[in-house]
Amino acid sequence: MTGLDYQRLGNFRYAVITLIGDDGFPFSVSTDFKILPDKKIVLQKPALPTKLDGKRVNVLFNHITGLPGGGYGERRYMLVWGTTHEEHGTLRFEPKSLSEWDEKILPFDQYCAKSAPQGAKYLGTLQASVEA
Amino acid sequence: MIKVPTWVRETFENYLVCEFTTVKSGKPVTMPLLPFYLPDSGKFVVTSSILFSKKAENVKKNPKVSLLFSNPEGSKAGKHAVLVQGIAHADDTDLDHGWEKYLSFWRKKEPYIDAYLAEREKFGWFWKRVVLQVEPKKIIAWKNGDTSRPPEEFGA
Repeated sequence: MTGLDYQRLGNFRYAVITLIGDDGFPFSVSTDFKILPDKKIVLQKPALPTKLDGKRVNVLFNHITGLPGGGYGERRYMLVWGTTHEEHGTLRFEPKSLSEWDEKILPFDQYCAKSAPQGAKYLGTLQASVEA
Repeated sequence: MIKVPTWVRETFENYLVCEFTTVKSGKPVTMPLLPFYLPDSGKFVVTSSILFSKKAENVKKNPKVSLLFSNPEGSKAGKHAVLVQGIAHADDTDLDHGWEKYLSFWRKKEPYIDAYLAEREKFGWFWKRVVLQVEPKKIIAWKNGDTSRPPEEFGA
């Protein structure tokens, strides 16, 4: 896929794999990952879920830095949708699409401004339900 | 209320963020969020600005959600991985004040929140917030965060 910055991706410490289980609930599990020189993303296979071959999942790479006085900063994440393939006891992750935010690239106030259409949409839907 | 051991409860109370997943058209959507654990009921609350309200829209269509606590950064808790699967309810009846009852929880995790609140007018829509309350149905926990080993399950 295009648009995935593998260099920035490599700065995250771990990954969270999520898929929808047979019971309809999301199932998330954290695991280690590495990026190979040919840009293959390889995830360590967790004990659960037992079947991850060919599964449509999302993988979240998230970072915060704890602050000395409490709270956190340096927020950034990459959320990547794709498919997992079992290979040699590991999982190869084939990325398809991406959503991300890094407050160093897009400061929080600008992120809020960019998200105003979603806020307007939500308020509009609420207003319509009140008027109905 | 699902009973959990002390290390799981401490994870809920101390981890600053969780990975919160909603379901949209059968696909997972996972975002890092600030969770609040309500010890009296064993329920969880996250709040969402209307600016970032797709998760609330998703919950209204499909209430099945999960919260994974996997990142001890910024907390004094040990490293574990705890997954909560539950049913969420979105409450947007009072966007301006409904979430304020959770401010004491918020302040513990982000002590600087009052400085942002002082500029509430500047970030008006950020402070219009939907309350998402989650009732756990199952809790799956990996002590020490080693997910290559089978987890413990509670409430199954």
